[in-house]
Amino acid sequence: MSKTKTSLVKRGPAHFIGIALALVIIGAYFLLPFVIQPERGPSTVAVVTESKKTNELNIFKTGVELIPLAGLGVLLLGAWNVIVPGASRAISFLMSVTGLLVVVYYINFFRDYAAGEATFISNMGSAFWIMLVAGILCILQILIPRGISERRYRITKLFGNQESIILFGLLFLIFVVGIANPRFLQERNISDILQGNAYIAVAALGMTMVIVTGNIDISVGSLVGLLAVISGRLVVAGLPAPLAWLAPLIVGAGFGALIGFLVAYLRIPSIVVTLGMLSIIKGILIIWAQGERVRDMPADYFLSQMRPLGIPMPIIIMVALTIVVVLWMRYSATGRAFYALGGNAEAARLSGLSQKRLLMTVFILNGVFIGIASVMYSTQFNIIQATPPPALELSVITASVVGGVSILGGTGTAIGSTMATLLLNFIRSAMIFINVSPFWLKAVQGLLILATVLADLIRRRRQRL
Amino acid sequence: MKSKTSTPRNPTVAEKLRHLLISQEGVLFVIMLVSVLFLATRTDKFLTVDNLLQQGRFMTEVGLIAIPMTYIIITGGIDLSVGSILGLTAIVLGWTWQELGFPLELAIITGILSGTVAGFVNGLFIVRVGVPPLIMTLATLALYRGLAEGISEARSARGYPEWFFQLGQGEFLGIPTQLWLLIIAVVIFGIILARTRLGRALYAIGNNETGARFSGLTVNRYLLFIYTFSGFMSAVAGYIFVSRVSTTRSDMGTGMELDVIAAVVLGGTSIFGGTGSIPGTIVGVVLIQLLKNGLTLSGVTSDATIVVIGSVLIFAILVNNFIQSRRGG
Repeated sequence: MSKTKTSLVKRGPAHFIGIALALVIIGAYFLLPFVIQPERGPSTVAVVTESKKTNELNIFKTGVELIPLAGLGVLLLGAWNVIVPGASRAISFLMSVTGLLVVVYYINFFRDYAAGEATFISNMGSAFWIMLVAGILCILQILIPRGISERRYRITKLFGNQESIILFGLLFLIFVVGIANPRFLQERNISDILQGNAYIAVAALGMTMVIVTGNIDISVGSLVGLLAVISGRLVVAGLPAPLAWLAPLIVGAGFGALIGFLVAYLRIPSIVVTLGMLSIIKGILIIWAQGERVRDMPADYFLSQMRPLGIPMPIIIMVALTIVVVLWMRYSATGRAFYALGGNAEAARLSGLSQKRLLMTVFILNGVFIGIASVMYSTQFNIIQATPPPALELSVITASVVGGVSILGGTGTAIGSTMATLLLNFIRSAMIFINVSPFWLKAVQGLLILATVLADLIRRRRQRL
Repeated sequence: MKSKTSTPRNPTVAEKLRHLLISQEGVLFVIMLVSVLFLATRTDKFLTVDNLLQQGRFMTEVGLIAIPMTYIIITGGIDLSVGSILGLTAIVLGWTWQELGFPLELAIITGILSGTVAGFVNGLFIVRVGVPPLIMTLATLALYRGLAEGISEARSARGYPEWFFQLGQGEFLGIPTQLWLLIIAVVIFGIILARTRLGRALYAIGNNETGARFSGLTVNRYLLFIYTFSGFMSAVAGYIFVSRVSTTRSDMGTGMELDVIAAVVLGGTSIFGGTGSIPGTIVGVVLIQLLKNGLTLSGVTSDATIVVIGSVLIFAILVNNFIQSRRGG
């Protein structure tokens, strides 16, 4: 009607496709139960929970195939919207994700159905909810335009950083997967994910500091493995548990100092030093441990299994250290100096910062964090493996990078890396809960890492403009 | 004519020799000779033609991938996904042949093609979207390995016909077949890097990318080419790998990226870009393989050899830094 009204997105093909998709999906949500069981009425949930005897129903006559197609439509429309100006980018992104979920669901379902292992109702119940979300998003993307009003600008400034994006991603994931499979939200599952990966988050804290200064450490995995065995053997040899917890920190700091010395004073690039150290430490571990797992640790050794105030210890350590590191990097002189060094080494030198001392500090600190991580790792189970945790360095580096640390140095925060660790592992667990074949886990994970990195890149480019 | 030395007169033989000796390749070559001699005194099984040829067989895959890796590191980039591309190629090869019923020749081509495409995708994102190479290839390291796992569903393919093993297990004129391939590749791509416009462009990009752009070099096209090339060579290495070990598994080539990078860096290519050469890289590859083999033969457990290799890597860079700074100062 009025051309001055800007709250609606300009009409384009996306507009009509969006309406059509919303109609199909929401229509299917309310109508399908009728088609399948006419006497039941529109309550999908009731159909889902009560009916298990519809096996004989031939679902392919009900038009169910339309839904994955609609899901695909939502996926493509969302992706289109992200690229072409029009609707709100966030909504469009969510659309793509829900569309993808719908498609994944149906592919899984059709596969099981063809194999005679599933009935329509038993498997599709939770997908109905996702469909509803997808439909609502389709309508929202018509209503909410992309644009910068003052309020939106302020919101963008507040939430437009990588940390917030990851937080929203995390919440959204928990929300959608929780609807799809409520068992995902059980306290036990959430706490398992947090506990089992807290040590990765702690190692990622050290890595974040190293990368912020423009360096990298790819020997993390080997060092965690070696320190874990050292700690375990010490306690088995009769050392009191607190000392056995302390030892890896000291040895870790020692290795950190060695790496720092080679990088800072002998000027070998950190990637080369740690590539060499990766082999050296791994070799030492294999020769020394002879493949023998450490067992029979005393009961008071298992730090990670303790639950002060009912909260598992790894979670406490992870949260506490993250807060400390965030504050320290933000407010302490040395913390600021790390950013300065990574941002512009020459300028840092000219303003009187000692590059050598800073590099020593950062690698020693990194060694200490790796020590803490290794204690958390070694006290997790009743047996300590004599091999480094596989591909740990990749998990740690990925967490830091996804958390917003620029690999070129100078930016990034510890809170980002911790949340990214959680996000990556929540994704892993979520995929199991929505029945993605375990063989495809890594591929989906790789795609998501790529998506996060791209989102970060697009965001930075927009902010620069 | 194309001499770039600062002295106008032609250097004498002695000067040339001295120059060669204190280059990274020269230092490394001396280290290699010393270690070969040392290892030869420890065991008489090491310095035999049979053993050396056998080692040539084992190092071909790393050697082939190290060539494009040298190119990439010279431009200041890196490719961490090579091991995963190798695995992906192997799986596509085995899967299209066994599950989809392709003729084996077609399966090989499909496999190599998919590896090349994987490299192309790396290059495309790095060039067009501007993702830093380290991050892009870190993501595809997971992605390509994941695709390999997903496609294969942990099944292995075996039972290839006899002719398929010619490349990986056969001999031609008394030398392992794949070693011929490596030698030819080294000669061709060594010359390309040292003597052609493409090679000079790579050094220019590594020294100053913006400068190279402003001098009218098509930087994007060069970068896209070398990452695609890296995918292609990893794919060829994947084919050779399958042919050598007679089976296909999705975890093939895990961790290979580190072996390759270690060899390239050991060979004098600066991780910051701008310097490096194919002869240096090959000496690096050979040195690592001979050390592994020689130490194992002289009774060191194979796990302990990685300690030595890690130390040699750091030590060689250290010595080189020392010599270069002496020469520079």
